[in-house]
Amino acid sequence: MVTVGNVTEGRSLMAHLIRRTGFGATQSELDRLEKLDYNKVVDQLLNPTESNHLSDDLVFRYHTEVHEQRGGPWSAKQWLYRMVTTETPIVEKMALFWHGIFATGYAKTNQARALSVQIDMFRRFGLGKFDVLLEELSKDPAMIIWLDNQDNHSGAINENFGREILELFSMGIGNYTEEDIKECSRAFTGWTLRNAEYMSVRAMKDSIWPYGRISWHYEYRDEDHDHGEKTFLGETGNFNGSDIVSIISKQRATATFISRHLYDFFVADEVPVPQWPYTPPRDPEAIETLADAYMSNGHDLTEVLRVLLKSDFFKDSCYERIKCPAEYVAGCLRVSNSIIKPTMLMNEAVNVMEYMGQTLLNPPSVEGWHEGTEWINSGSIVERVNFAYEVWRNSGSLEVKDITARLSVSGDLRPEEAVESCLKFMGPLELTEDSARNAIVDHVSKKGPIKFGDCTGEMMADAEERVAEILALIAASKEYQRA
Amino acid sequence: MTSRTVIERVTYDKTIGIVNNNPLGRGFAHPIDIAERNGELYVLNKHPGFTRVGVCTYREEYLREYGTYGHGDGQFWLPTGVAVNADGYTFVCDEFHNNVTVFGISGEFLEKWGEEGSDVGQFGGPSGIAIANNGNILVVDQNNNRIQEFQTDGTPVRSWGESGNEIGQLNQPWGICIGKDGSIYVADWGNDRVQQFDSQGTPLKIFGGPSENGGCLHRPSKPAVDSDGYLYVSDWGNEAVKIYSPSGQFIQSLRGEATLSKWAQEFLDANPDESSQRDISDLMPELPSHFNTPYLISTQIESYFWGPSSVLVGEDNRLYVVESSRHRIQIYELL
Repeated sequence: MVTVGNVTEGRSLMAHLIRRTGFGATQSELDRLEKLDYNKVVDQLLNPTESNHLSDDLVFRYHTEVHEQRGGPWSAKQWLYRMVTTETPIVEKMALFWHGIFATGYAKTNQARALSVQIDMFRRFGLGKFDVLLEELSKDPAMIIWLDNQDNHSGAINENFGREILELFSMGIGNYTEEDIKECSRAFTGWTLRNAEYMSVRAMKDSIWPYGRISWHYEYRDEDHDHGEKTFLGETGNFNGSDIVSIISKQRATATFISRHLYDFFVADEVPVPQWPYTPPRDPEAIETLADAYMSNGHDLTEVLRVLLKSDFFKDSCYERIKCPAEYVAGCLRVSNSIIKPTMLMNEAVNVMEYMGQTLLNPPSVEGWHEGTEWINSGSIVERVNFAYEVWRNSGSLEVKDITARLSVSGDLRPEEAVESCLKFMGPLELTEDSARNAIVDHVSKKGPIKFGDCTGEMMADAEERVAEILALIAASKEYQRA
Repeated sequence: MTSRTVIERVTYDKTIGIVNNNPLGRGFAHPIDIAERNGELYVLNKHPGFTRVGVCTYREEYLREYGTYGHGDGQFWLPTGVAVNADGYTFVCDEFHNNVTVFGISGEFLEKWGEEGSDVGQFGGPSGIAIANNGNILVVDQNNNRIQEFQTDGTPVRSWGESGNEIGQLNQPWGICIGKDGSIYVADWGNDRVQQFDSQGTPLKIFGGPSENGGCLHRPSKPAVDSDGYLYVSDWGNEAVKIYSPSGQFIQSLRGEATLSKWAQEFLDANPDESSQRDISDLMPELPSHFNTPYLISTQIESYFWGPSSVLVGEDNRLYVVESSRHRIQIYELL
């Protein structure tokens, strides 16, 4: 049991770790974690067992549309359930990370099931060797349609995928030539999907007829593959796509590019990717450390993350990131312990993510979302504040009840004591402006001290109401926007 | 119990339906349940925004529809079950509104009854509905793990069942049907079985179960029973239909073999760019190994059942299988 005014450094660090590798921790989770060795917790996180989460059967039965996943929001809803209820949040966090980089969208594919299949692929390979992940991505049906590789034929190449695998998915602009793009594209000829022609027509027309979508799977057409000799990044051979992936994965530029993405997602907000060629990293030394880990561990992403999560630059990065809408929404629902069964609230949650600027499974372009402070504008901040307030204002949520019970241990609380204590439970958070803190205290003061009585009955219910309101007001603060 | 070996009880006949992406008009939008009266099929659609009862026939005549999306009288939010009584009244239960809505013979709203709760007459996510042989209404009270019987005006008569996995106990039951002898069959969803009760709620028999044999069930959604006592179960979690003899012996499993319905063919005739490519496509492809669950396979193979949410043995001695995620009904002849 955590007593008021006594948040240990270890507990605070664990809260930081779980915010970054997951979507935040409840107080009972932190009770367990703070007793453990930090490095061992990192090792456990990086060795996730099979995901245990709110059963898909329950979700599918209640939300019939999620069973079908014809539309993007329907698949996004299933993913959000996973984020909120999984016992291995790092798997979902990595899927979200790769979704932001290998950005594939519903707007062109018109095939939400295929996007779910891609997210599943990220779950399976997102913490493994980069070579394997990149090859799986190259075979991913949604990516094939997204970047037109079904139109990339021997003797008539389409460079779309060949360009983006280099520019946005691995090395970054400036590390290859236009000739490399052409040779890369030649190597990926014949990498298509089954019934590509029929599926392309349906995708192009957004046809759901006669019986809904037919999901996709990869097909290699050897007769459509360019078997000629190719020269790529200085190497020459009769390369197929797998060879190209191997060559890309061993480049130092790839190590640096992926490391900067990892830093941006797990440590501190970087400038948007298009500015990377012109703007040095926030912490060049950290990027070099991560790139070294990538090169010396066979491109194993788990090992890179192990170095990252155990580093001082990670431990010192509390609240250096703006939560993206998915992290924000999933975090509110998860930490407040609001989702224990399928609920219509998830419809609203998926919609509100969109209003905040992030339509899961439908990024604005192949470049993904511009993150960091670009998430915040006058419209999105209202959506964020309103959603967080609504979720935390629910005095019936398990976490509000738990926090109220913890507060009651100290007996009745003056408003300023209650606010200080709730700030510790919500992060711990420190409001940087006295005016915000004073406004909350003034509001709480209108009803006097928070009284718990004998911790039962109406008095406790009233205390839960008032604590929920304090937590909701804290969730509306600018500090709560950060992870 | 019969000693002869029954190889097949049904054979495929045809498919009706097409996906409907509008709040009205022919076709289905996440059809969730089906009832029949005088050769008319009452198909309940659960698609958010497009909820309604659509009435059509075996010959794919689309006759009429009623009920809309919303929270008012005659409206649904998450409708789950439909039944039609001998007078032609339609009863629809809604797991969000926790009530039953009653429509008259022309589809006009008559009344609604029920509210959220666990007391007598209250509901915790009603998920199935049927007309008992005495004319009363039986409602599956999903989250209260019980069956409630009402008079047609909503007056409670009796209830039975409790949470658990012993005989007579239930775990989030879904659909319900009535046998010729008045027996009540309930899809005991969370326990992967169908339970048969007598008309008073006394447990009689169990069909299926989660075991590995051919007759196992996984999250069954709805039972249907024919005049000989054979049981047909939409095995929702296995994307299949399982058939049992009256004694409970498993005799046949269906995976689905849909063909083009009349409405589907009309669509393709009007869209030759799609139909020409469809004609040269392999719609029964071999799948990669990671598509290794019935659900994932059904997402890829269009002719297989996908989301079999309800079954009905019609007055015409046909088996109707409703697929919520393929928006159609596969029909089988009883042999």
